[in-house]
Amino acid sequence: MDQTTQQVLAVLFVFATVVLVYTARYFQRRGRQRALRRIAGVERVGEWTKQSIEANRPLHLALGGAAVGEDNTAVALAGAEFFHHLVERANASDVSPIVTMSAASSIPLGQDTVRRAWRSGDYLARAQWYPPDIAYAAAVTGALQGEDPAAHILAGSFGPELALMIDTAGRRGQGSLAVSDRLEGQAVAYAMADEYLIGEEIFAAAGYATDDGRAQADAIVLDVWRALLIMGVTIVLMLEVAKRMPWLNWALVLSVSALLVVFGLLIYRRHLPEGDG
Amino acid sequence: MGRGQRFGIALSAFVAFAVGVTTALSLLLGDNPALFGNQPGAEQLAELIAAPADALLRLATIVVALSIVIGIANLLYVHAGKLARGKFYSAVLLASFGFTVFWQVTRPGDTSLLEAAQLPIESALAALVALSLLHGGSRVLGKRADIWGLLFVAVVVVVLLASAPLAELAPLQAWRDWLMRVPVGAGARAILLGVALGAVVAGTRALLGQDRSVRG
Repeated sequence: MDQTTQQVLAVLFVFATVVLVYTARYFQRRGRQRALRRIAGVERVGEWTKQSIEANRPLHLALGGAAVGEDNTAVALAGAEFFHHLVERANASDVSPIVTMSAASSIPLGQDTVRRAWRSGDYLARAQWYPPDIAYAAAVTGALQGEDPAAHILAGSFGPELALMIDTAGRRGQGSLAVSDRLEGQAVAYAMADEYLIGEEIFAAAGYATDDGRAQADAIVLDVWRALLIMGVTIVLMLEVAKRMPWLNWALVLSVSALLVVFGLLIYRRHLPEGDG
Repeated sequence: MGRGQRFGIALSAFVAFAVGVTTALSLLLGDNPALFGNQPGAEQLAELIAAPADALLRLATIVVALSIVIGIANLLYVHAGKLARGKFYSAVLLASFGFTVFWQVTRPGDTSLLEAAQLPIESALAALVALSLLHGGSRVLGKRADIWGLLFVAVVVVVLLASAPLAELAPLQAWRDWLMRVPVGAGARAILLGVALGAVVAGTRALLGQDRSVRG
C-alpha cells in the first residue's frame, strides 16, 4: 500500500471514529441507551470502593509508565478517566485515593484526577511519582505499606514488575485489578491479579464505572470498531482459505457465516447484564 | 459554576481542539507531495502542512524531558510531608537524595555510587520479581479454575520444559516454536490491535477537546 493510500485511509478512519462517537453519544443522550457487554473485571471495583469507604482506607490507583506526550498518551488519558470515576465514587470516604505513576509527565494528570473529584485535602501529595520499572514497583509496595490501601487498581503501562506489586497486595489481603498496554504486563495481570482487563478494555473501563452516557457511548464505539475488525479479518481469512480449497463454494461460505453470526449473537446475549438481554 | 470558570473550560477545550486537529491533520496529510498531485508547488505545500506537527512535537519532547524536574519535586514534596508525620523511610530517602546530589557535585562523572548501590539493589529486585512470577504462576489455577487457566498453565509448562537444556526434551522445542509463532503471535497481535483501536477512540476524544483532562 503506497503512502498516499495510507494517509487517505487514516484520515477516513479518524473521521469515521468522530462520526461514530457523536452518533453513539446522540443516541445515549436521547435515552436509547444500549446495555454494555459484561466485563467481569470491573464488577468487583464497586465492592472495593464500598470497602474503602467503610474501612476508611484509600484506593491505590496506578498509571505505571503511561506517559502524557509519549506513545502511550491515550492509555494515560483512558486510565485517568477511569480513575476519575472511581475517585468520585469513593469521595464519601475520609481518606482520598492515592494515584501513583512512574512517568513524570503524568503527575499533573494524576493530581488533576484527584483534585476534580476530591476538592478537599492535599491533593498534590496524593499523586506520587517514583522512578520507572522495578524501582517503581519496589517503591510503591514499600511506600504504601503505611497507607494500607483497600485495593489496587493498576491500569496503565506495566511490565513484569507488576508481579511484585500484585504479589505484595495478595499477601496483605488487598484486592487487585490490573491491565497493561504492554504484553508482558498483560500476561502478569492475567496470571496474578484478582481481576483483570484485557487490552482495549482499559479504554472502555470508564464507561462501566459511571452512568455518564458519554463514557458509555465511547465504550460502544470501541465495541463497534472491534466487531468490524473481527468481521474484516474473518472475511479476508475466508477468502485466503477459499483460494486453496477448490471444493469451497459460496453456498457453503454463506451457511458457515450465518452459523457464526448466530453463534456470535448467542454469546453476546449471554454476556449482557441480566434484564437487558 | 461561575462565568469565569465556564470561560476557562471553554478556552482550554478550544485550545485543545485547535492544537489536536492541527497536529492530526498535519501528521496525516503532511510530507507527501503525491497527495496534492504532480502540480508545481506540491512539495512546498506538503512541507508547509507537515511543519506545525513537527514544531508541536518538538515542543512536546522538550516539555516531557523537563517533566523529570516535576517528578523529583513531587518525590521530595511527598516525602517531606511523610517525614513531618514521622515516617523513618522518608528520612532515609531524603538523606539519600541529598547525599547523591552532594556526591555528583563534588565528583562529577563518578559512577561508583551507581555501580555500588543502585545496580546491585535493582538486580536483587529483578530476582525478587522472578520469584514473584513463579509464585503467581503456581497459583494461577487457584484463581482461574477454568479451561483458560488450564490452557495457560499447560502452555507455560511446555515452554519452560522446551527451554530446559535436556536432550530428552528436544521434541518439545518444535511445539514451543509453533506455540510462540502461531497462537501466541496471533493473541499478541489481537491484544495490540485492540489497544490501537482503543487509542484511536481515546485520541479522538482528546482531539475534539472532549477529554476530562482538557475540560478544566
